Amino acid sequence: MRAVGSSIQRSDAVDKVTGRAAYAGDIDLPGQAWLAIVYAPSPHAHITRIDTAAALAAAGVLAVLTAADVPVNEYGLILPDQPVLCGPGSTVQAETVRWEADHLALVVAETAEQAQAAAKLVQVEYTALPVITDPLAALAPDATVIHPHPFSAFPYGQRDNTSNLLLEYHLRRSDVDEGFAQADVIVESTYRTHAQEHAYLQPEAGLAFVREDGRIEVIAAGQWMHEDRAQIAHTLGLPAERIVVRYPAIGGAFGGREDLSVQIVLALAAWKTGRPVKIVWSREESIRGHHKRHPFVIHAKWGATKAGKIIAAQMDVTSDAGAYAYTSTKVLGNATLMCLGPYEIPNVHVDARTVYTNNCPSGAFRGFGAPQGHFAAEGQMNKLAEALGMDPVELRMRNVIHDGSILATRSAVPAGCTAEEVLAEAARRGGWKKNGIGYWVLGSETDAAPLRNTQYPISIARGVGIALCFKNVGFSLGFPEACHAWVELHGTSAIERALVGCVGAEVGQGAHSAFAQIAAEALGLDVAQVEVVAHDTDVTGSSGSASASRMTFMAGNAILGAAQQALAQWQDEERPARADFVFHPRPTSGYDRKTGESDPNITYGYCAQVADVEVDMATGHVKVKRLISVNDVGRAVNPAQVEGQIEGAVAQSVGWTLLENFIQKDGRTLTPHLSNYLIPGVADVVEEIVPVILEVPDPQGPLGIRGMAEMPFIPTAPAIAAAIHNALGVWYNELPLTPEKVWRGLSANPFPQE
Amino acid sequence: MKPAAFDYFAPKNIEEALALLGEHGYDAKPLAGGQSLVPTMNFRLAQPTVLVDLNGIDELFFIRESGDGLRIGAMTRQRAVERSPLVQRRAPLIHETMPHIAHPQIRNRGTFGGSLAHADPASELPALAVTLDARLRVQSSRGERWVAARDFYLDLFATDMQPDELLVEIAIPDLPARTGWAFDEVARRHGDYAMAGAAATVTLAEDGTIAAARLVYLSVGDFPTQAVQAEALLTGEQPTAALIRAAAETAAAQDIDPGSDIHASADYRRHLAKVLAGRVLARAVERAKMTADDRR
Repeated sequence: MRAVGSSIQRSDAVDKVTGRAAYAGDIDLPGQAWLAIVYAPSPHAHITRIDTAAALAAAGVLAVLTAADVPVNEYGLILPDQPVLCGPGSTVQAETVRWEADHLALVVAETAEQAQAAAKLVQVEYTALPVITDPLAALAPDATVIHPHPFSAFPYGQRDNTSNLLLEYHLRRSDVDEGFAQADVIVESTYRTHAQEHAYLQPEAGLAFVREDGRIEVIAAGQWMHEDRAQIAHTLGLPAERIVVRYPAIGGAFGGREDLSVQIVLALAAWKTGRPVKIVWSREESIRGHHKRHPFVIHAKWGATKAGKIIAAQMDVTSDAGAYAYTSTKVLGNATLMCLGPYEIPNVHVDARTVYTNNCPSGAFRGFGAPQGHFAAEGQMNKLAEALGMDPVELRMRNVIHDGSILATRSAVPAGCTAEEVLAEAARRGGWKKNGIGYWVLGSETDAAPLRNTQYPISIARGVGIALCFKNVGFSLGFPEACHAWVELHGTSAIERALVGCVGAEVGQGAHSAFAQIAAEALGLDVAQVEVVAHDTDVTGSSGSASASRMTFMAGNAILGAAQQALAQWQDEERPARADFVFHPRPTSGYDRKTGESDPNITYGYCAQVADVEVDMATGHVKVKRLISVNDVGRAVNPAQVEGQIEGAVAQSVGWTLLENFIQKDGRTLTPHLSNYLIPGVADVVEEIVPVILEVPDPQGPLGIRGMAEMPFIPTAPAIAAAIHNALGVWYNELPLTPEKVWRGLSANPFPQE
Repeated sequence: MKPAAFDYFAPKNIEEALALLGEHGYDAKPLAGGQSLVPTMNFRLAQPTVLVDLNGIDELFFIRESGDGLRIGAMTRQRAVERSPLVQRRAPLIHETMPHIAHPQIRNRGTFGGSLAHADPASELPALAVTLDARLRVQSSRGERWVAARDFYLDLFATDMQPDELLVEIAIPDLPARTGWAFDEVARRHGDYAMAGAAATVTLAEDGTIAAARLVYLSVGDFPTQAVQAEALLTGEQPTAALIRAAAETAAAQDIDPGSDIHASADYRRHLAKVLAGRVLARAVERAKMTADDRR
């Protein structure tokens, strides 16, 4: 049996199913104390005084830490704009709270109950500041500036400290006005997408302690060990080598663990008290306390010729960064390009910006700007098709990118582009076919007028919709991508056992099983002979993050490189034979700040989906009957896990499209529980998900493998919106498509009655 | 979160339970299935200092026939009601509604009487009790009394019961001849509390006109809301589609005063009330005609 291509049982399956796997909350250390966090009294305020005396005097309390106790009171994945603890005593920046979940103080006590009770005794005096919740209002010249102080580092040149603008990008290709002048049809819309909570099974939790060797070890789930370590070390003012980050079993991430949550405060508390310290966030703390998918407002104006060629696209893109940057600048970078969809467009004008507000910070979440961008791009394609009287598949076929197509960045699409292949396969499976003259049309069985059951007063309208996407694999725009791995071969005459060192995070996606399968394939071993070593930052160098659909792609290349070199050493009679390898993919470049000219991405993955929906026209309730998801994964390392990724992505994207509604008012979260933030149950997702795997090799991928984890999230919302339009004749440009919203759209656009 | 500290008693019969409730009064709460009380205590929204656990009182678990209908013990599990052939035959509206109540796991534990006594305006069973003219037997150390369901619900989570009283039994009268029934609700998710729900019964006279109609909503007010003006409009008339539409519009416009929350605005709830009224009344009329035909 070949190791790659087999749906073998994943290595962590039995432990996770039996409960033996230890998540951070399951781990206890001898002599451990507990940590509780004192949160901001208001979403935007100047903190004038924090009185910890009563808390310090409370039963069981070991320490109460404030801003003055943080050696370097700033952190952030991309830029250090967030204080570890807010309040007087460190920097000017730290004197202000900007988010309801900003931390004011840490209480360390013998028990969790004592810590939580004492946290309530911390007295805070503050002056409230205006709370800014709308990113467009935040850009008004007289708006209160949320970050008026310079940051110690800002990787995008000079920042304007007098504005809430965090970053803007521009794409310019040819002349968009000239393009519109040549257009036969022009469609214009404003699209709005909403925040989304990751809702992973395991809320944030962790432990930290000072080891016998004097180093501080932090045990907490994350997505990128070495980056966690760097941020922790920065705040403590220690060299990175003084910190060890260990990943226990991780209960889902989806981008939500890309930024830090409990790691720094645990390390600080353990360091200051000398005791092992533990914290387990409640679900409410988790929902209030970690970032969300970015809300976007995208104004789109696209033009096409009668021949079905997109001739011009003008986009104005605004995302709500929330109180701190997190990965907002990176998400903006992706959205700036992906709001154009996987199409050749000769005239382009994109203005994109991300803006600070006092909302929950926005950050990484499966798709990373691509779902928001494609909701606009694919909406525009469907509307142009309607305006032209052309089938939406046919219109896409006439504009879709291929190898070497020039993007709006004036750079070529990397080899291995299969946008057309995934679209054609999805169309065929969804009921489209080519007619006598070679044009794509929806087949007769589904292209009849929407079926309506008019039995009073129940009336169901049916519709079908299609959407296509592309998404970068790996970090974009000049970020120095790399992944470390080593392979060690044991045995005498034959290789009996292989160890693979690679610390890419196993967040539940099956990465470690995939690493073992790729190594076994390269070494000609059975998977059972391969052991993955991945527990902490001492194992090897950085693997980069388990994000951007990159982990299997990057680690696979690194493991293949190490395996090849280890095999050579084995031939040279080295026992054990061991080789270290660092994989560097081809370099990319950042946007030119005026024109956006760049070679933005290493490579892309492609997915197309067809949604069949039923809409109850009386209540507005939308039911997705079938969702076909066609994904080119290059080569499926483990087909069952690939299908699992597709089904998981669809559950999450159907939730985002129809159900999930993260609501904040005046900077306060109104949906901090899973009883009012509604994620889909199994009966609410889709009656039938049809995962379709294509295997067209990516020339840069290890064994042809492509990244695939985010792609099946991206086309769902526009496919469902297209299906609802097909059913009702109404365009919906604002997510989520709740029953009430669908009903309001219907009331405003009454369906023609029989 | 975990609940605040409390004392726990597990009486073996009704008498012991009543004595405990009499002794502790407002500080005590009877524990039935715990599907609402326990989460409320865990969120510290309720902090009773005494819990009187009814799960060991065998005499509160029963479903039996009486001369004029059904008698259901207050502690009977919702799942037992759902699966009871007796309930299916003699109280088909209850049988039809049970699967709409949350999820099987919750119905396995949740009780018929617990839901009625909890008086959550979003719950199905209080609305059914009002629709079916159920009577509730309430006991205390001071004695017992029967209360009509429509007099039982006073306000949000508030009933006619005193702190020392316990709901022990529910009487469900048989439906009159030529009576049809229906229930429907609209929820964001399968198994969630409904944004709005409605139950109806319609009794036809020999001449095919509507002799009596009952239409009761859940989730559109502070307690089960009877659409009395719509019922009056229906009574004595031929059950045409136009009449049903008019009744649905009257119910939505005049009989209810729904509120807004993060799941649905008042406007949308009012609209759903109209749609649901149309659907349940139409189905109840169809069924009434079918039972009338069966008996001919």
